[in-house]
Amino acid sequence: MVLTISALIRRRPLTLHQREQVDFYIAILPWLLGLILFTGGPVLASLIFSVTNWTGMNLAEVKWVGLENFRTLLFDDGLFWIATVNTFYYSFGAVTLGTMGALFVAILLNQNLPGTTLLRVIYYLPSITSGVAISILWIWLFNPQVGLVNYLLSVVGIKGPLWLGSQDWVKPALILKSTWGIGANMIIILAGLQGVPVSLYEAAKIDGANWWHEFRHVTLPMLSPVLFFVVVISVINSLQILTDVLVMTQGGPGTASFVYVYYIYQAAFQYLKMGYASALAWILFAIILALTLLQLWGSKRWVYYEGGEH
Amino acid sequence: MRNSPLSRRQFLRFSAGVAGLAALSACAPAAAPSAGGDANGGAAASGEAVNVSLGLTWEAAFQSHQKEFDDKFMEAHPDITLEPVYNTWSDHNNVVPTWAAADTLPDIIYVHGSRAFPWAFEGITIPLQSYIDTDTEFNVEDVWAEALNLYNFKGEQHGIPYDHGPNLLGYNKDMFDAAGIAYPDETWTMDTLRETALQLTDAAGEVPKWGWSAEMPGLSNQDGVSSLGPWGAELLNTDENTLLLDTDAALESTQYWTDLILVDKSAPTPAESQAFEQGPWIAGQVGMAVVPSWETPSLASFSTFAWDVAPWPEGPVARATGSFGSGFSMTKNTQHPDQDWAYLREYLSKEGMEFMWGSSGRGSPARKSAYDSWMNSDTVPEHVHYYLDALDTYAITGRPYQTLAAAELNDIITRSVTLLKSGEIDVASALAAIMEEGAPVLTAAYERLNS
Repeated sequence: MVLTISALIRRRPLTLHQREQVDFYIAILPWLLGLILFTGGPVLASLIFSVTNWTGMNLAEVKWVGLENFRTLLFDDGLFWIATVNTFYYSFGAVTLGTMGALFVAILLNQNLPGTTLLRVIYYLPSITSGVAISILWIWLFNPQVGLVNYLLSVVGIKGPLWLGSQDWVKPALILKSTWGIGANMIIILAGLQGVPVSLYEAAKIDGANWWHEFRHVTLPMLSPVLFFVVVISVINSLQILTDVLVMTQGGPGTASFVYVYYIYQAAFQYLKMGYASALAWILFAIILALTLLQLWGSKRWVYYEGGEH
Repeated sequence: MRNSPLSRRQFLRFSAGVAGLAALSACAPAAAPSAGGDANGGAAASGEAVNVSLGLTWEAAFQSHQKEFDDKFMEAHPDITLEPVYNTWSDHNNVVPTWAAADTLPDIIYVHGSRAFPWAFEGITIPLQSYIDTDTEFNVEDVWAEALNLYNFKGEQHGIPYDHGPNLLGYNKDMFDAAGIAYPDETWTMDTLRETALQLTDAAGEVPKWGWSAEMPGLSNQDGVSSLGPWGAELLNTDENTLLLDTDAALESTQYWTDLILVDKSAPTPAESQAFEQGPWIAGQVGMAVVPSWETPSLASFSTFAWDVAPWPEGPVARATGSFGSGFSMTKNTQHPDQDWAYLREYLSKEGMEFMWGSSGRGSPARKSAYDSWMNSDTVPEHVHYYLDALDTYAITGRPYQTLAAAELNDIITRSVTLLKSGEIDVASALAAIMEEGAPVLTAAYERLNS
């Protein structure tokens, strides 16, 4: 059999395309194995745990509870709905502000001016710094007594709110803090901007377009696939906000910043309800999946692909 | 060359899908770290060299003290090698369940009083009762009974406390001296505290000063007794399946502490407290505060003012304050409990407690006989004996400590108390919210406990 294969290989050498395919699969194999073993395994396990009462401790005492965890979550658990609403509120604000902010900064940094390379680095740096460290920094920025944010507001005659200590302002504060990480999206949009053919702007100018017309009818359509990517990823990430809440607010004051993944964390590791937490995680998965599919469907209305859809 | 290029749309969709999967993977639980446990398996035969792993929470500065004890122990027991694993105190309660899930628990672990009961129920810790009963030299009667209660599960000790102490009234002597007010003493009542707090307060000054530090109302663990007890109120019934916050006494006591913040303004609001990295008390801008025994080392290290402690003031009904502590347990994954006990019996002996926590000033030992070593250490206040008096007479361990819902109930309480201190809800609403949210959680925990 080995001889047969060897003979076959000798007789029929791989084509370039086949060799590229082999190389491709060898190259992605480490990542693929990691995905299957270290992500796929736990994901599958959490699906099983979601229909049990497992505490996260003793597997021998796990009891099957069917869909009870899901029923309790949806119909008896007020915290679930509070966490869901808070998370959507945050997600909407963070994605909207983050995408618009990233677009704005990318356009500014796409100008052919001295120092833009340095500015790009400066704007990108925050997105690769430690999440916990940045959260602690923002606790002090939002400090109502000695924080920089309220100081700046006071300079223009505005008495700043309590921010993280206020039920009304804690979510806007977290949204504002999320703009710290726009650097990653800014780089993607910047790359998109640099891929827009200059000839399109030249043609627009010949047709008498001003800057707004160029932006509206050239930049935005050509950027729409990139913006679509940024929005999809940002929505997924924002729905999983945890670090900021864990470090800055612990879900408070009251339940004003009690978000979904924080509830999963609390249920799994503080209340020892791993089965319940797994059910929470799967509902979040369903929500994210539904939203992503909705965005894919909606993209047909506003995303422009220069080469058409293949 | 034949190929099948992706369109930009397909590429972006694919990328979004892959990145989405990667992001979703954050939902998956993290892998448990290795605890460095003994891999030999099976009970070690007598005389056979074994490794005993310890899951501890000491900060770097105190680890050398632990090493000193461990080195001496290993000299005396050459057949045992100790392998400490350190978590941060704040992470430990999350790390231990992941160890337990992966069956990689160290042989011996630190157990905070609030976790003793649920971890015993879940089988993380194992009973030590047979060792305690047969090891007459260990003398468990020397340990405060209230401290032992925390680690008792269904009549058996699942752990031995190493420290235990009550809440007392701490005061900033410099502020009292500057205001010309006599220091607190045994005659103080809650009314005296309130009047004095007002006299000490100058919140509008260039350096704001407050009379009271606003920890209260704190309704759970040791703070619950200190907050509610002087008015004769309690958080839970004995079975810990019913909240008792719908009484006049609970309302009155909670109103008292809230009024200090919102009516008298003699205590900083939560927003005002945020201006201080270590809190306004350590910063020296508060005249009086709750000072449990385990906070005395921090005060000795970081405070820049003279301070002392006094008995917890007497309330309209009683003098009552809460006590709490931490301990050590063997875990379900240990393969050589005899060696674990050999370590624990020395670590938590009178001499062990004196060396580790007493004379080092680290904290008030859980053994009565070792208390003197702490009271003679360098980090304690002048009237340190009030801690001992409280344990002997009026301090009791706060609830919840024997319900599986303790962590959840504490969160429920914290949510409402934070709003209460900020003035966003009134006392009646806060207590009602705790009752409403806490009742089903307690009931479910009680049913699970007895199922």
